[in-house]
This record gives sequence, structure tokens and C-alpha cells, in this order.
Amino acid sequence: MRILVLLLLLPLIAAAEPASVIREVEMKQAPATDAATLATLPENTAVDALERKGGWTRVKTSAGEGWVRMLSLRLGGATTAKPGASGLTQAFNVARTGTSGTQTTTGVRGLDADQIANAQPNPAELAKLEKFAANREAAASFATEGKLAPTSVAYPK
Amino acid sequence: MRVLVILALLVAAGGAHAQFRMPNIDINRMVDTVKNVGKAVKEIDEPEEIAIGKDVASRLLGAAPLVANPGMQRYVNNVGRWLAVQTERPDLPWQFGVLDSSNVNAFAVPGGTIFITRGLLERMRSEAELAGVLGHEIGHVLRKHHLKAIQKGAQSALAGDVLGHALRDRAGPARDKLIAFGTEMYSRGLDKSDELEADRLGVVIAARGGYDAYGLPSVLQTLQAMNAQDSALALMFKTHPAPAERLDSLSEKMQPVLDAYSSQPQLAERFVRQIKK
Repeated sequence: MRILVLLLLLPLIAAAEPASVIREVEMKQAPATDAATLATLPENTAVDALERKGGWTRVKTSAGEGWVRMLSLRLGGATTAKPGASGLTQAFNVARTGTSGTQTTTGVRGLDADQIANAQPNPAELAKLEKFAANREAAASFATEGKLAPTSVAYPK
Repeated sequence: MRVLVILALLVAAGGAHAQFRMPNIDINRMVDTVKNVGKAVKEIDEPEEIAIGKDVASRLLGAAPLVANPGMQRYVNNVGRWLAVQTERPDLPWQFGVLDSSNVNAFAVPGGTIFITRGLLERMRSEAELAGVLGHEIGHVLRKHHLKAIQKGAQSALAGDVLGHALRDRAGPARDKLIAFGTEMYSRGLDKSDELEADRLGVVIAARGGYDAYGLPSVLQTLQAMNAQDSALALMFKTHPAPAERLDSLSEKMQPVLDAYSSQPQLAERFVRQIKK
């Protein structure tokens, strides 16, 4: 049981990642506009993004921890381009993509541009896909289990 | 088709006589008339949209099969169908599939078939994020972005009246050509404006379903944090505007909606239970 709890927490811990501030932003004590302002972070401040709550991200900075507007952050660190940083990762991914199919099949499969352009029909998988479809009633009770309440929201103009 | 032949003959005849006198026919008006006749024949109705979509979906499944995890497939179908019910096309034969590929991508097929890759799903943290992405794809289907691109492209890129033939004969060679063309379109992508519109619709649809509206922006930030050179992202980045541009556009146009529905559930625990096991 304890392991299960730890596993559930993992994605939250893994969410801590380097980010930078894309425009000057106030760091708040709580995730709300009217919360006390702890500091003003100038553009390009490097922070660690810890967790998200609605439109707010909790960050760790040299000036302490607090909440900033989520959309004022660029994830992935202060430098936008890191040329050559991932040569190894790239080679690894190419290798993985090439052998990612779990079933043995004829021909090369995958979702790269060329592979999509040359894909052949797969009626057996299409039949499986139809089998997994949910009807309205099943979807509604699934929503109820998750305490999801439908709301009326207009499309943007 | 017959009209086209007659027009061709008329033009040829006109050309032959041109050196003697200008033909007394308004060629422009004739061309317009022929175009309109063509258009009337080629308007794709809903049953046709669904039929074309199934054929295209079958090809995409030929590129990557479904993940062999029925629980995961049903879970994604529940989320997707719940969202689709909140839209103006609630009764399309909606079906959602997780494709077994480490590439990071998602696809909307005309008629209500939506695919998401295992690679993208594995990088998400909550059901609200999944809802944001499925909402984006549902938005493409609602506005018929791919169907219109297929229709427009088929008329200019394929010789003759391929679309008309393909609609009349579902087993003929023209049909094959149309479906191959429609599938290939997923390797080239839509107009940027279609993608940005689908982002706005995705935010609204997720909010309608009762989810935290920040799910889609959150996924876009995850993509932004990934190395753009990663080959798993190549096709998605080729066919979509950069995450930074998509986030800017959402923050400019959707901030009020995002904030009004930001405290709705994210359902991170249910997502982790269903996907990460």
C-alpha cells in the first residue's frame, strides 16, 4: 500500500522542472490574484516549476518559493536552443521508433511522415477500435464517478 | 463530367475560330457554371464523411496499431465520449484509440475518430490534460478541418473528377486514390489557423466537460520543455505551430475562459491509475 501511495506521488515529484520567466511577473504567496506578493520576478529569471494548480504554478527561486501565473513561464530553462545537447537521446529514439511495433508485421510501421504517407489499411485493428467505443450512458456514469459536472461555456467569437 | 467535355469542346472550337472573330460566348460565366455544378455534386454529406473517415482511420492503424491494453483504450473512450456529448455533434460514431507509438502526436479523422499516441499519453499528468488534447482533436472534427482540406486538395492535387468518382464508387480505384490522399494529409498538416482554432475549442470543450480548463496549456508547456530536436516530436512540430506560439495565442484570447474554469477537477489520480499501471 505504501508503495502504491509513493507511485501515485511520483508524477507530482517528477513535475519539478527548470523554467524561465517570459515576462515580468509577481510571485504570490498563494495561487490567487489577491494573495500577498512575495517578490517581482524580472524577465528571464530562472526558476524550478514544482506543481500546477489551475492557472498557477508553484516555483522555487533564489528568492524563495511562491506562485506565479502559469502562462508567464517557459518550461525548459532560460536558453531556448541547446544545439547538440541531445545527440545521444536522438539516436536512442530513432532506434526505439524503428522497433517500437509490438506485433511482428510486414513492412515498416510507424508514425513518421513517410510511414503515414505509405500506410496500408488495417481492418483488423479498425474492428478492435470500434469495439472499445463508449456510448453516451457509459460516458455519463464515468463522468459522475469522477465528480465531473457539465457546464455551459460559449465558444470564443 | 459530360458538362466538362462540352466545355472543353466549346473552348477548342472557340480557339479555332478566334483568328476570324472573337467567340460571342462568356467563357468566364460558363466556367463558373461548371464549377458550381461540380460543387453541388461534390458536397460531402455526413454519412460520406463517416465512411471516408473509417477508411482513413484504417490506414492510420496500418501505420501504428492500437496499444494492446483494453482498460486503457476504454478509459480514453470514456473521457473522449463524455467531451463529445458536450458539443453540437454529440451523436457521431465517436471512437478514440491509443496508437502504439513512441512518437508524440494526436490525430482527428473526419466523422469522429480520434487517435492519440502512447508517447503523448505517457507525458501527461492528469485527466484534465488528456481532456484538453482530446478537446482539441474533437474541435477539428466539429469544424471539419480535415474533411475540407481533403475536399479542397482532392480537387486541385488529383487529376480529373476523382472526388466525384470516389464518392460514387466506394470500391473503385478513385476511392483508393482519395483515401491515400486523405491519409497522406496527416504527414503534411493543416493550416495554422485551423490548429489555433482547435486549441481554443479544446479549452472550451474540456471546460464544458467539467475539467480544469488549463489542461491543454499544461500539455503545451510540457511539449515546450522537450527538446525540439527529439525525433519523437518531428512530425508534430512539422504539422503544428510551435508550442510557444500556441500558448501565446491562448493567453491572448482565452484567459477569461481559462481562469473561470481553472478550479474544476484535474483528476490526476484517476489518470495515473488508468494509464501508468
